[in-house]
Amino acid sequence: MSKVKVLVVDDEKEFANTLAERLNIRGFDTSAVYCTEDALALIHAKKIPDVVLLDLKMPRMDGMETLAEIKKYDPTIQVILLTGHGAGVPLTGIDRGKHGAFDCMMKPADINELTMKIKHAMAKRQASQNRGVDG
Amino acid sequence: MKKKSEWMKRVFVDNYHASMSSPKPYRRLRRTLFLVMTTTFLVPLIMVTWLSYYEYRSFLLANLRWNAESAKRTVETFLAELQTVLIFTADGQTFEDLTDQNNLKKLYHRLKSNYPGVVDLGIIDHTGIQRGYAGPFDLLGKDYSDRECFKAVSVNKTFIGRVEMGYRQVPHFCIAVSSLDPDTGQSWVFRTNIDVTTLDKYIEKTASGGLSDVFLVTSKGEPLLQSSSRHFGPPLSPYPYELPHDRHGITITEETEGTDDIVLKAVSYIDGTPWALVLIKQGYVYGKDWSFFKVRLFYIVLTSTILALLVILRITKLFVERIREADEKRESMLAEIEHTSKLASIGRLAAGVAHEINNPLAIISAKTGLVMDLLELSEDFQYKEKIESEIRGTADAVERCKVITHRLLGFARRMDVTLEPININNLMREVLSFLDKEALYRGINFDLNLGNSLPVIESDRGQLQQIFLNLVNNAIDAIDKDGRITISTRKRDQNSIQIDVIDNGKGIPPDIISHIFEPFFTTKDHGEKKGTGLGLFITYGLIKKLGGLISVQSIVGVGTTFTVILPIKIKSRRRGQNVESKSPGS
Repeated sequence: MSKVKVLVVDDEKEFANTLAERLNIRGFDTSAVYCTEDALALIHAKKIPDVVLLDLKMPRMDGMETLAEIKKYDPTIQVILLTGHGAGVPLTGIDRGKHGAFDCMMKPADINELTMKIKHAMAKRQASQNRGVDG
Repeated sequence: MKKKSEWMKRVFVDNYHASMSSPKPYRRLRRTLFLVMTTTFLVPLIMVTWLSYYEYRSFLLANLRWNAESAKRTVETFLAELQTVLIFTADGQTFEDLTDQNNLKKLYHRLKSNYPGVVDLGIIDHTGIQRGYAGPFDLLGKDYSDRECFKAVSVNKTFIGRVEMGYRQVPHFCIAVSSLDPDTGQSWVFRTNIDVTTLDKYIEKTASGGLSDVFLVTSKGEPLLQSSSRHFGPPLSPYPYELPHDRHGITITEETEGTDDIVLKAVSYIDGTPWALVLIKQGYVYGKDWSFFKVRLFYIVLTSTILALLVILRITKLFVERIREADEKRESMLAEIEHTSKLASIGRLAAGVAHEINNPLAIISAKTGLVMDLLELSEDFQYKEKIESEIRGTADAVERCKVITHRLLGFARRMDVTLEPININNLMREVLSFLDKEALYRGINFDLNLGNSLPVIESDRGQLQQIFLNLVNNAIDAIDKDGRITISTRKRDQNSIQIDVIDNGKGIPPDIISHIFEPFFTTKDHGEKKGTGLGLFITYGLIKKLGGLISVQSIVGVGTTFTVILPIKIKSRRRGQNVESKSPGS
């Protein structure tokens, strides 16, 4: 079974790289980019991740817009939002469903919890791919 | 706008601070109000009093004038009547008829029966010799050519003389008319003497209307009495005052006699006579009326002034008390607003700081995590254990920071309020069920004193749970071991319910009770059970968001009561805010 491909998108380079490294140690195939444009470029270049860890607040294009773009390209890609901000974050189930994110976590996130969520997200992606529709 | 707001600040805020800093402005306000109201009352009162005073005075003067006119008319009528009688008699008879003694005596007796004051009758021929006489004296043949009555009547046809004592030493006056004998073409005089007592009687009749004296005086030369005066004596006594120069109409003067005796004097000259009529309103009569009026006026003014002053004092006191109460209410409201807005700004500031710290914290957390990951993967080496323990220490510290930042951000996050019908009694039971084990372990009993007919309220279940979990948790911590927590619920009024969380724990000292809703304020011991100091801060914020109120009362050593008041229905304005808060941010 191939490794789960994870893409960390965060303008905090240190955070993105370190998180990627930690996830790699835990058996994921993780890469990190530092802006949303790079993330979308990768996806458009068919280097499609299974799960995207997406920071909400980034320069130029924020997390919610990026999420919409990703879902437009491939609805089965699962996105977990990471945020350092409390205000106005759509954490409720309704908002999560509406915007299509798999889950949302506040920084600093517990690595074990995050690992668990990535695995669940991957399971959902596989189920969606099998059904051919997004859940 | 700026000017307006500055003006309003000056009026309200500055005055407010001034009024709060000392009770002086209230005293000043009270004084000002008292003065204004007293003036408003007293000015018309004084004016009315003054008007009454002068109206009464002019009424007295008018009354005196009327009396004088009436008395003057009476005297004039009396004299005119006598003159008419003489003229008719003279015109009806000839000189010869009248010089017939028998005839004259008959006439005399007829006249005396109608006019008892008539003393005698006399006929004087053109040389001044009395040719006919009827009366009590022997005056036939007397020479009148040098007498004033003979001289004056020759010129004026009629004459009224001054009062004289005459031969009898009885005061009398003379009335004479002249007539022309058609046969001889010579004039003769028909005269009579009238006893002054008759005149006195007539004048007496006019002395009504509170007059103290009425009498006649001579109008030329040194004034001498011409009739009896109560004050100045019998006729021909001197009258000690000067007569007015104006000989027309009635002259009224006011004079003071002695210390307080005010005398009103009316003088009127009587045409065709040597007399002036004097009316005096004086002493006891005039004074009695006047002082009675003055005393009555004084008591009316005094009574109404005292009454008004009492009423004004009372009203002023009430009014200022109301203002003071309103000010105090405003003060406490301002303090409440200040407190709320202080907490809100601290909350926003704390959330901002938490956000800024969260990102570097995430990096530290990730880095320490990675180091731990790498240590786990690596072989043993010198200091590996030491490094692991140090890193774990760092990770623990990061974890503690994370708890704080997450709670702060959780507070600041404007989560939707999901409204649903809530039975507060059931909610309280649910909340307590979360804490059953903790309470059991610590030997704490829960007493439920839940109101029976509580209305179902509309609120957010999750947030209410968090609020009461916080409050009960605090109560448990305040008791520590073995105690009692009472939860009581009741309907407060038509719009709200009240929930009390009462513990018999150690209580909160008065000096810190005002700080307990501030963030990072904790009394919980630093150690395993240390608090973040955010529990009550978050509780406060949540209750405000749900349109409620929270207050605390505490006695050290007895316990603490937290009172939460929740609206039965959340106001639409608040709902509007929540709908607005749904808009996504980052």
